Amino acid sequence: MFSSGNVTCRVFERQIRSSPPGASVNRARKFYENLVPSHTLYDVECPDHCFRKFTEDGLFLISFSRNHQELVVYRPSWLTYTSDSDDTLPPLPRRASRFDSFFTQLYSVNLASANELICKDFFLYFPSRRFGLFATSTAQIHDSAPSPGAVPGVPSIDKITFVLLRLDDGVVLDERVFLHDFVNLAYNMGVFMYDDLVAILSLRYQKIHLLQIRDSGHLVDARAIGYFCREDDELFLNSNSQAMMMTTTQDKNKQQDREDDGENGLRHTQPNADNSFLSGIKQRLLSFIFREIWNEEPDNTMRVQSLKKKFYFHFQDYVDLIIWKVQFLDRHHLLIKFGSVDGGVGRNADHLPAFFAVYNMETTDIVAFYQNSAEDLYQLFEQFSDHFTVSSSSPFMNFVTSHSNSVHALEQLKYLKNKSNSFSQFVKKMLVSLPFSCQSQSPSPYFDQSLFRFDEKLISAADRHRQSSDNPIKFISRRKPETLKFKIKPGPECGSADGRSKKICSFLFHPHLPLAISIQQTLFMPPSVVNIHFRR
Amino acid sequence: MGSILGDLPSFDPHNFSQHRPSDPSNPSRMVPTTYHPTHNRTLPPPHQVITTEVKNILIRSFYQRAEDKMRPKRPASEHLAGEHGNKHFRASSSSAQGL
Repeated sequence: MFSSGNVTCRVFERQIRSSPPGASVNRARKFYENLVPSHTLYDVECPDHCFRKFTEDGLFLISFSRNHQELVVYRPSWLTYTSDSDDTLPPLPRRASRFDSFFTQLYSVNLASANELICKDFFLYFPSRRFGLFATSTAQIHDSAPSPGAVPGVPSIDKITFVLLRLDDGVVLDERVFLHDFVNLAYNMGVFMYDDLVAILSLRYQKIHLLQIRDSGHLVDARAIGYFCREDDELFLNSNSQAMMMTTTQDKNKQQDREDDGENGLRHTQPNADNSFLSGIKQRLLSFIFREIWNEEPDNTMRVQSLKKKFYFHFQDYVDLIIWKVQFLDRHHLLIKFGSVDGGVGRNADHLPAFFAVYNMETTDIVAFYQNSAEDLYQLFEQFSDHFTVSSSSPFMNFVTSHSNSVHALEQLKYLKNKSNSFSQFVKKMLVSLPFSCQSQSPSPYFDQSLFRFDEKLISAADRHRQSSDNPIKFISRRKPETLKFKIKPGPECGSADGRSKKICSFLFHPHLPLAISIQQTLFMPPSVVNIHFRR
Repeated sequence: MGSILGDLPSFDPHNFSQHRPSDPSNPSRMVPTTYHPTHNRTLPPPHQVITTEVKNILIRSFYQRAEDKMRPKRPASEHLAGEHGNKHFRASSSSAQGL
């Protein structure tokens, strides 16, 4: 898009030529090839907090105190200083290697009370109003007493609180509490935000709670999908069961216990053990599978054979499926991942069979159902991966590299595909990442595969901890291959003395400034080494 | 001449000497060339409104595949006849209007 690599030439060229249609953001991102965070300040003295991430508009740095009870928010600023030396690169002042030269603390808010802890891996940002969604929870109880409606085998947490906070000033706007429930909070896995809708998956009660974030800051319950699919299902079933109760009490007189009366449907939402109805969403799923198999064969006898083999043989397995994860595909459609009870909570559930269903919330229909080895679904994943990582209207997030929008990422994917021995194993491995977790990729242009080449195992746009190596991580330019643009070296400047202990590091890149933080810590000892990488 | 181009430098002083700037007080009689269509085959249907499809391409493909699966399979011969039935010969109309 630019005929030269020199930044001055590019600026002049930008004055006289407009970009190719639809590529203005791509052209603007080309400037990041010239402005790179090449200077590193090692071992900056900074407060001992767990730094979580930059918000996607770059206005805030979210961090939590070490005791996981306070939220501390910083504003990223830039180091400013004066110098009267004549060098092109004047020496940095002494105060440059202090954290508060780059970040000003805005406020510190206590979110968790005595026995609660903030989940430090959970944070969702609502960009249009600059609200943040945080979660606090009490300890996890593994062998909890079974309660009606709960899936056995899923642990229980006494109290989970979702807190909606205005990040401009730290005011708590609203809260939503879940009692004796379980929501997978690590890395936003159980919660998905799309525009102003938030879907919270309660694994224990197998319900998808839909909340809407209002402009005023209130969290409003929109819907709960699980046992009931439409908003008035509960009313309908309750009114029917009350009518049935009237007839049964007239028939069987005083032999009924009081307890029995209470259980049999007058209690509100949870089904009891005697109730033989499957949950609403399970019924939709089973009827969809039935119809799909029915329509495969034109002949009636063949149909029945096919049903026996494919549906009734596995019927109990289908009934025992639970929802593992949920994401929005657009405002009306959800992608739901089903699996067996064993794999709901643990992360190493890759070898267990899983199923994907596309559910339309308005018509309460299942639109599609695939097994996790389905090649159809893999084709859609390969071609339209961007539409799976759908997010709100922020413009930067649409340019995160994926194999659907970058030739280089697609090449890597094809290389993996050709290298794998079995295509169905490869498909299963790829589809493990579906449904995607919300806001888990950094929009920084330094992760753009069309600009830079870097080792994905050591650093990538996903905000997970990685194994740290002592060698610096190189970012190599794509435009002129083998030209090193900049290096990121986590950890202290001369490497650490103790080479044996396992170190993990995490990287926080600012979305649009050439500024990055790398945090290296050993697994068991809290003090971590924080480096700041910026363009001098 | 009191023209907009005034006395801008130019190679030949007689350039633009015949230029008469358009003046609202004496409107020019010249009508610019206009082009009219000779047929109405390409007219849009009346009251046509063009909007963006709400469903994104991924969801459209899910629905498309679901429809393909749900539609009960027809024997092959019927399917082919249907495709050809939509096409009409256009030789007659093009030969009438040929250059």
